[in-house]
Amino acid sequence: MAKILYIEDIQDNITFVEKVVKSRGHEFLFAKNAESGLELAVTSQPDLILLDLGLPDADGQTLSVWLKGNPTLASTPIIVLTAWTQEVARQTVEAYNLNGYLCKPFSLKELVDMIDSVLGTQAS
Amino acid sequence: MTIEIIPADHFTIQELTDLYNQTRVDYLVPMPMNADRLNEYIHDFDVDLHHSCVARYNDGQVLGLSMLGFRQQTAWITRLGVLPVTRRTGAGSVLMNSMLANAAALGAKEIHLEVIKNNAPAYNLFLKTGFIERDTYLVMRHAPRPMTIPLQGEITWLNFDKALEKLETYPHHLTWINAIESMRNSPNTEGLHVRLADGSSGWLIYRNTKFTLRSTLSHLIMHTTQGNAEEVGIQLLSHLHTHYPHHDTYAENIHEADPHLPAFHALGYFTNFSRVEMRHPQL
Repeated sequence: MAKILYIEDIQDNITFVEKVVKSRGHEFLFAKNAESGLELAVTSQPDLILLDLGLPDADGQTLSVWLKGNPTLASTPIIVLTAWTQEVARQTVEAYNLNGYLCKPFSLKELVDMIDSVLGTQAS
Repeated sequence: MTIEIIPADHFTIQELTDLYNQTRVDYLVPMPMNADRLNEYIHDFDVDLHHSCVARYNDGQVLGLSMLGFRQQTAWITRLGVLPVTRRTGAGSVLMNSMLANAAALGAKEIHLEVIKNNAPAYNLFLKTGFIERDTYLVMRHAPRPMTIPLQGEITWLNFDKALEKLETYPHHLTWINAIESMRNSPNTEGLHVRLADGSSGWLIYRNTKFTLRSTLSHLIMHTTQGNAEEVGIQLLSHLHTHYPHHDTYAENIHEADPHLPAFHALGYFTNFSRVEMRHPQL
């Protein structure tokens, strides 16, 4: 079982992802803005962070820099879940050295596969 | 039901923030805000809340909002949005007509706005209300990364006052968010000037915004006063990112034909999206 933190401001998205994550037997945590997301990441040390790019206090790209800049989180994988286009999401993941992306709307299977893939890679 | 228009200053900042976020929930570029950010936005961009509007049905159901910035006979329409469930009700047109009327009442001779490229419903609404396309601008990002370009030139760092002095000499049009008034309204404005060995020179003005924990760079405006814009731009950006190696950077409204674009690309900037600036010429 892994501990997964989702940083997202829209409750419907949180509810959907929570169901998926818990159905796979993982522990689920969430935060609705960048500041509380960073704080929760530091205190809870998740195995994986799912990150929305549009947050109300600082955007997801900036938050990813803050997360990666914390020594205890530097190697924590981050998957971007975003409404941006595929090309922007790809460039963001590459530039910010993140671990993957899913463009909204994504299916339950796509999310499960992405989580399994990243956690599997981390474990191996 | 009749749509009525209420001045935005009848609502709290938190209510306006919540409404704005709800109108953007399904946008390609949602850009949600919290109350602090909206307050800062209102301050920095001279938004006049009394002449900004909230649209609602006469039974009280809120439909959307729009904000109006005003400076020296020029108005700027921003944050226009209609709740997804109440779109195609005419609320967008009612809001736009209110904005035009309020701008005229304030004495505006010209009105500007920006629309995200490929947002066809909004673009068509603006065309229908008399706006014409002016220029296209890029919104770019730069993630912190090790600098590999050798630093050259003599650098002078510019404080707030010196940065504004440079900006006053900028010879090209600036959109509302990067205009000198916007930069003057932010205490985070600073800059740097470079002079290269061959005599080339230029400057870069930006905001260095402090969040609770870290800082970011934004609102970049670059100008080459002498020499090759790409070479000057590369050195300005290289010095900036060497000085601030951990800052995330958000460069808004860089003109699509800006001669410094190759410098941005050389430093690893990539385009998030484009905006089209439009203006209303008939006031």
